[in-house]
Amino acid sequence: MNTEIVFLFLQQGIASGLVTGSVYALLALALVIVFRTTDVANFAEGEFYMAAAYLAFFLIALVGLPIWAAAPAMVVGIAVAAGLFQRVVLRRVAAARGVSVNLVIATLGLSYVLKGFVRATGFGDTPRSFPSVVPDGSVTLGQASLSYLDLAILGAALAVMAAFFAVFNLTRTGRAMRAVGMNRRAAQLVGINLGRTERLVWIFAGGISAVAAILIAPKLLMTAEMGGVVTLAFAAAIVGGFASLPGAVVGGFIIGIAENLVGLFVSTRAINVAPFVIIMLVLIFKPQGLFGGRLRVRKV
Amino acid sequence: MADLLELDDICAGYGRIEALSGVSLRVPEGGIVALLGANGAGKTTTLNVVSGIVAPTRGEVRLAGRSLRGLGSDAIVAAGISQVPEGREIFRDMSVHENLVIGAHARRDKAGIARDIEVMTGYFPILAKRFRQMAGTMSGGEQQMLLIARALMARPKLLLLDEPSLGLSPLLVQQIFDIIVRLHRDEKLTLLIVEQNAAVALAVSDYAYILENGEVVAKGPSAVLAADDSLRAAYLGA
Ligand SMILES: Nc1ncnc2c1ncn2[C@@H]1O[C@H](COP(=O)(O)OP(=O)(O)OP(=O)(O)O)[C@@H](O)[C@H]1O
Ligand SMILES: [Mg+2]
Repeated sequence: MNTEIVFLFLQQGIASGLVTGSVYALLALALVIVFRTTDVANFAEGEFYMAAAYLAFFLIALVGLPIWAAAPAMVVGIAVAAGLFQRVVLRRVAAARGVSVNLVIATLGLSYVLKGFVRATGFGDTPRSFPSVVPDGSVTLGQASLSYLDLAILGAALAVMAAFFAVFNLTRTGRAMRAVGMNRRAAQLVGINLGRTERLVWIFAGGISAVAAILIAPKLLMTAEMGGVVTLAFAAAIVGGFASLPGAVVGGFIIGIAENLVGLFVSTRAINVAPFVIIMLVLIFKPQGLFGGRLRVRKV
Repeated sequence: MADLLELDDICAGYGRIEALSGVSLRVPEGGIVALLGANGAGKTTTLNVVSGIVAPTRGEVRLAGRSLRGLGSDAIVAAGISQVPEGREIFRDMSVHENLVIGAHARRDKAGIARDIEVMTGYFPILAKRFRQMAGTMSGGEQQMLLIARALMARPKLLLLDEPSLGLSPLLVQQIFDIIVRLHRDEKLTLLIVEQNAAVALAVSDYAYILENGEVVAKGPSAVLAADDSLRAAYLGA
């Protein structure tokens, strides 16, 4: 392989990796904000994303809504559903037996329920494609080429991340979310309502997952199993340290770029291996993750 | 004077463990009351019942005559009760400044909050010096001062202090209690202080309760309790 091709592949791999990585970053962000504040690894994250894509599809194809109305309606719908899940299911599980494991199992249950529901409608059996609102065409950056859709995905994902970071770091609500993640008892003592704050975090996580779905859906075929992509979001979150928001975002981009580079330089069949190689490298050289800070021993 | 805080026959526990079996106590408005007792006597549990963190299984807590039954911990802070918890429960990865701001979470008056941060750095000058530092990197004594200031940022009528002297040098204990007494005088705060350091607590308080195995076993004016050698030997290990 001559150097010219190496440079071309590098540029293209990084450019395409930033696009897919931005979607992983959104999903990882949704995972991490829930984990930080509620200590729950949300195994239904992929199914939020899958349900969001199908909800959009139903609204467009069956209800006949134009996409500019269907997209926001769907994002709000999924966000509210995530909030309801916290309120109706998780709160009860926590009250009955407030151990983290039980809450995680509840999210696993939700993931099966959502998959089963989509299959029961009959639409989940055959893969479906999703219409794109972005016109065809592409731009060249250096030697890399990205479609308008790619640019729209990256731009929208970055905008959503920036908006969430602003909420998280600069507002009273965001301060309450950080406080609950840092010290629940202290948060209660300064008058923060734990239940309401956790519910808000779930609502944000649902909304962010839904945005990720609407962005990437036109590039994928929809199936009831599409939530499997969350494995890559978990990988991104682990790379970033699982409790760090910037870590989740950087981790998402790293995984996206690694996949694309492996696809170009090695083989498209090796793509699936890339995230796991990255996880192993991170766990060997920086076990707390790139943004993990100090290692803390948790009481379980 | 009227009682600001009343506990009537409070029972509370953790699962099958009963930690409080019928505790009654009164804190008069503007007073300083000490709650003493050995490890595991139920002092922290008592404060957590007042703060709405542990739900009582029997009995009632009243603030200025109004029952707190059914109120969550956030509503209780908003009603005017703040707690300085034991064990350095600060927000480690927030700056000193943000720890103070979050202490005022229940309030919406921005100007008043900014003014009160000034007031707090007046009482605790060290906090002004550490303003941008992450709270988790401060010394134990500095963290204790931050905790007291954070609790006061809610503008409470009643301040609950859980072992403010724990783990501090005698000099620092004296300093902190001096500030507590000044706060009581200048800010018209009512105080309920939990302590194992009976000497210091009896010296600053007007009235004291001694708790053992979840029950009040002695009570009286602090000066009287302090003079009672047999009582001190029996319950206070001093
Ligand atoms: N979270 C908990 N779960 C189970 N039991 C608890 C819990 N917290 C306290 N207890 C038990 O309740 C009883 C009273 O504890 P509490 O913390 O109120 O005592 P304390 O007087 O504050 O003691 P210390 O001086 O050591 O802080 C003890 O027997 C303790 O073991
Ligand atoms: Mg205690």
